[in-house]
Amino acid sequence: MIKAYRILAVIIAAEVVIQAMMIVFAVAGLGKYIDDGNVVDKAAMEDEDLSFTGVVGFMVHGINGMMIIPLLGIALLVISFFAKFDGAVKWAGIVLASIVVQVFAGILAHDAPYIGLIHGLNAFILAGSAGFASRQAKAAEVGAPATTVAA
Amino acid sequence: MSQEAPQQNPRPRVATYLRTHLRTIVATAATLAVLVPLAVMWWGSRMPGSYSVMDMGYVDLGGGPDTMGLADRSGHDMSGMPGMVSVADLVADPGRPADVTVDLTASQGTVTLASGRTVEGYMFNGTSPGPLIEATEGDLVEVRVHNDDVEDGISVHWHGVDVPNAEDGVAGVTQDAIGAGEDHVYRFVVDDPGTYWYHSHQVSHTQVLRGLYGPLVVHPRGRPSAVDVMAVTHTYAGTRTLNGDEGVVTFGASPGAVARVRVVNTDNGAVQAWSSAPYRVLAVDGREVNEPTAVEGKRVSVPAGGRYDLEVTAPARIQIGSTALVVGDDDPGRAPQPRDELDMLSYGSPTALPFDASAPDRTFRYSIGRRPGFLDGKPGFWWSINGHLWPDIPMYVVDEGDVVVFEIENHSGEVHPMHLHGHHAVVLSRDGEEATGSPWWVDSLDVDDGETLRVAFVADNPGIWMDHCHNLKHAAQGLVAHLMYSNVTEPYRAGDDTGNTPE
Repeated sequence: MIKAYRILAVIIAAEVVIQAMMIVFAVAGLGKYIDDGNVVDKAAMEDEDLSFTGVVGFMVHGINGMMIIPLLGIALLVISFFAKFDGAVKWAGIVLASIVVQVFAGILAHDAPYIGLIHGLNAFILAGSAGFASRQAKAAEVGAPATTVAA
Repeated sequence: MSQEAPQQNPRPRVATYLRTHLRTIVATAATLAVLVPLAVMWWGSRMPGSYSVMDMGYVDLGGGPDTMGLADRSGHDMSGMPGMVSVADLVADPGRPADVTVDLTASQGTVTLASGRTVEGYMFNGTSPGPLIEATEGDLVEVRVHNDDVEDGISVHWHGVDVPNAEDGVAGVTQDAIGAGEDHVYRFVVDDPGTYWYHSHQVSHTQVLRGLYGPLVVHPRGRPSAVDVMAVTHTYAGTRTLNGDEGVVTFGASPGAVARVRVVNTDNGAVQAWSSAPYRVLAVDGREVNEPTAVEGKRVSVPAGGRYDLEVTAPARIQIGSTALVVGDDDPGRAPQPRDELDMLSYGSPTALPFDASAPDRTFRYSIGRRPGFLDGKPGFWWSINGHLWPDIPMYVVDEGDVVVFEIENHSGEVHPMHLHGHHAVVLSRDGEEATGSPWWVDSLDVDDGETLRVAFVADNPGIWMDHCHNLKHAAQGLVAHLMYSNVTEPYRAGDDTGNTPE
């Protein structure tokens, strides 16, 4: 179970990296599309047939962020109940909580762009906590005492 | 790890088992505490293959009486009860001959737009947009629809025309989808002159986006306008078009000619329209504005599904998003988009409403949010209505003749162009600010994030009417409720097994 916990935590951290890559891919592609003389407005953004290099990034970011990562977070919490090492549940809880913050900040940023700053910042908290959770699991796996977090 | 207890004083085996496996038991209980509610939510969200929209959600009486005892109907068939009328029987006078007859044939494939661009999609009579249907106030319009080869089936909804319920063209609610090779006849009287449009209401989030729509204009009897110009805007694969054309579209008119430009937004998002020269907003959603004044330095925001009739004097250029319509022979050139938006709440002059909205018979709340959950078994963050996810949403029940107020509130993070079928509502206030201009009648209304709009109407058109977001993707994501008259029964069914998928 500790191994499953570790792998899942690594996947979540990797997913955050993928999210960052995808959204920059999409925004860069959108920038080039506009640079090439195209016009994008609300109707175009709502158009599932809108096509430019990087448009897939918006789709992946949305599906990953609002479906897959939350499910991975719930799975990590469930596994943490069986992963017998100190802090397993606590760190899974922190990861899930930062996923919740991340999704809501992402949604609210559509209408309040400053919340986007929190979305960007929280991505590091999410990736960091998932990474730390995986390191804790790794330490427990090899039998070494888990490192404690400095306050 | 739990430690084995010394067995010096043997305890009952169950207690020992519990003690040694305490951690596993707690972990299992915690897992169940997380997963069981999720499983229950998932199971409960799954829709049967065939269902009646009347059985969805819960009855909301808006503070009015439960005339037909619907609150505890528990899905009972009420069609045999006295006083009840079926949706299918709510039709125009069947004995009256048609004044205007139109044939529409729907097909799918490669569409060649007026601009020459080709797109894969749908068309009426081989074109997209479909043909302009014109009628005169009071006419009975008969439209014979044939679905040539659209595999998913089609239907035709007369957006903004307050038709009898059976003619509303919503698959699974007011009719069965018209399958490939099948025919259907729509008959309705057009009493209100104005600008409207028609579109499929079967798999509508795909079929409308890809071209299955067209304009409809009802001219006033005895008052022909001098120059009448259509400006139907639609975005195909990311490219905005005007009457199927792209860029700057010219409509020839002699200098000084006064033109009525009918802007029809068939997209999923609002479009901005403005002119360098002063213009007037003559009508919104097929209802005249009272004493419209000249607008200068402001734009109008036409919601998805909405129509604005703008009056300009040639030569004039109306910018509609990235496209433009030049009325006249000389292009006055592009004007930059004004920062300020015309507020219809204070535009024009007030005049008496045909009913008293201050003491409504029913007041409903339509609060749009967004929350995690399952939509027909699919996990995600979905639109909610009054905190509930589709299909566990309010069924707004009215009696014929009721004065109805809707408080539409949005805290979902995105704008929603709300569209009520079969009725026009007047906007009373926005965030507590009362309307001071002309009565602002709408059938398609943008409700921005953080806004509360109060609208009112008289329940004068019996039936079961969709009240949904006209960002049609959002409708497919659960932002669909219904307004139901208490004495109406539903013979049609929606769901995967029925072939009816209105959204």
